[in-house]
Amino acid sequence: MDLGLRLSVAAGFALLPLPVLGLRLADLQVLRHGALESRAAGEFARVSEEAAPRADILDRQGRVLARSVPQWSCFADKAMVKDPAAFAAKLAPILGVPARELAGRVRAANRFAWLKTGMTSEQSEALKSARVDGVGIVPVQERVYPNGDLARGVLGLVGAEGKGLAGAELTLDKKLRGAPKRFELIRDGAGHSIYKNISDDGRTPDAIRLTLDRNVQFVAEEALRDAAARAAFKSGFAAVQDPRTGEILAMAAWPPSPLKNPLIQDAYEPGSVFKIVTALSGLDEGVVRPDDVFSGEHGRYEITPGVIITDHEPEGDMTLAQILAKSSNIGISKVVERIGAQRFYRMCRAFGFGAKTGLPLPGETAGELKPLSDLTKVGLASSSYGYNLQVSAAQTLGAYSAIANGGTLYEPKLILDGKPPVKVRRVASETAVRTLSAMLEGVVDAGTGETARIPGYRVAGKTGTAHKVDPLTHKYSPTSYTASFVGYLPASAPRWTILVVLNDPKGAYYGALTAAPIFAQIGKRLLVLDGVAPDKPADVSLATARR
Amino acid sequence: MMDARMGLGTGSAARFAGVGVLVLFLCWQHVQATRLGYQVEAARRETMGRRGRVAALRVELDQRLSPEQVAASASRLGLVPAAPDALRRLPEAGDAAPLGALTRLWTRGLAPLVAASRS
Repeated sequence: MDLGLRLSVAAGFALLPLPVLGLRLADLQVLRHGALESRAAGEFARVSEEAAPRADILDRQGRVLARSVPQWSCFADKAMVKDPAAFAAKLAPILGVPARELAGRVRAANRFAWLKTGMTSEQSEALKSARVDGVGIVPVQERVYPNGDLARGVLGLVGAEGKGLAGAELTLDKKLRGAPKRFELIRDGAGHSIYKNISDDGRTPDAIRLTLDRNVQFVAEEALRDAAARAAFKSGFAAVQDPRTGEILAMAAWPPSPLKNPLIQDAYEPGSVFKIVTALSGLDEGVVRPDDVFSGEHGRYEITPGVIITDHEPEGDMTLAQILAKSSNIGISKVVERIGAQRFYRMCRAFGFGAKTGLPLPGETAGELKPLSDLTKVGLASSSYGYNLQVSAAQTLGAYSAIANGGTLYEPKLILDGKPPVKVRRVASETAVRTLSAMLEGVVDAGTGETARIPGYRVAGKTGTAHKVDPLTHKYSPTSYTASFVGYLPASAPRWTILVVLNDPKGAYYGALTAAPIFAQIGKRLLVLDGVAPDKPADVSLATARR
Repeated sequence: MMDARMGLGTGSAARFAGVGVLVLFLCWQHVQATRLGYQVEAARRETMGRRGRVAALRVELDQRLSPEQVAASASRLGLVPAAPDALRRLPEAGDAAPLGALTRLWTRGLAPLVAASRS
């Protein structure tokens, strides 16, 4: 055989597997290219996620009310743990958790068990360095409220997944949540990560500034807490609003709960604090003049056969100012008879009763305002002094703020967004409002609201004590009350409208004895905080002389 | 003839050298990229840790400055909230002080009682 033939045969044998190899190559490189490429990438490439912190919630001065802090949680994969006791012994000193407890958690788990949540970055790094098989670390954003329970009814709550569950955390959830940043990494043979690039920049949301003032909120909560220590009541709430803008400065509830905000979620019969609506209706329509006299019927008035209205003190003839100062139900019933259902109803609607205020918090109640057709003689009379209807604290606060600022109802504001205050409407003429305001000062100076007085300052307000409906009998309970006081100060140029409502006070249950002193305590602290000059010098000279 | 074919010309040698340098450069670049990748990842983790530490410290500061903590500290020091009439209002920066002892005495006599000191 010559050399050429031999070489050809050898080359033939050498090239024989070539078609097979070519086919295999085509199969791998062309047909299964995508699947194999992603499998190879899965071996080495990783995507790391850096959770975006939930935005801060600040008070009006920029002080933090809620903040997210990065923390780490670690878990055990039971399938990878051969000896739970040895596993726990290794982790115990790093995590600061007893070994027995850790071993117990691993044994009790089906496959997955949380070992520790809320770890610091140092603990997390120490755990990584320890290289214990079967342990995983997850970064999380922990929601922290640095002021404890302060304003928790407004702020609400965030769930374990970082989603708002209640309060502003729930209603502002979309604005507060960010999108995580994503990184592409490659892992080497030893398991170390090598940074490749950023695949998604994520989104870090801007902080949200509320109209709440941390100090005012504290003052309101402290006053309620002090009152709860002094006297017995089931629950209570207080709110402070700036009547010039409608901005809510404080919303306090006792006992505090992040799940409930009674100031906007609860509707109640307001009692005598509602008399301002009747009075303003009469003054604005011109059907009642300040010097008009109404009979107090000596404390007992049979409005229709069998239906009797009583006053806590028997009174004779009274002007409108005296009716308010003495909080006479009979007197105000006489006033509303003159006003008529239509005018009274129109004023209720003008103040925003029966409609939601629009505060950005979940579960707001609209209250209950009976339709005009239901305002019979008895229904109208009882509505005139705050029965037969239900209101929310936010509505009442707004109504008093409207009187404080000269007659403009503002939309209550909870988020400080730089936009001007929203005027809803003018509720009455400025003259009528000023007249009513002077009458409300009389309530505090020489009426049922004397306990709300602050020496040196002009204070206007109204007390309220309403029987509560017994849920079992559906009749008014003779022993259960809602006590309240709503007012504003300094009356010469009001800066704060303050509402205090106590649910089911025991013992001295009158609003004058329970809620008004809380109003005075809050008012005094606010005057000091802002260094407001006295607007009633006569009082100050008296106080100075006494000292 | 055979030697001439096997030998490398100057141009070919230069091309081989160029390719060699390019390969070496690419290798060096890959090594550097990997090394930097390790460094970036380590720095990123360190930043995350430090950011967490800063956030934790900020929260601690906020907690210490919270009104409740401040009020508790004030109570421990025996401080009580001031009454509104205990405030003494100082004149604004724009308020010019009256000139002369007699003028000052006269204006003090006219000053409202609310501006009087408690002491």
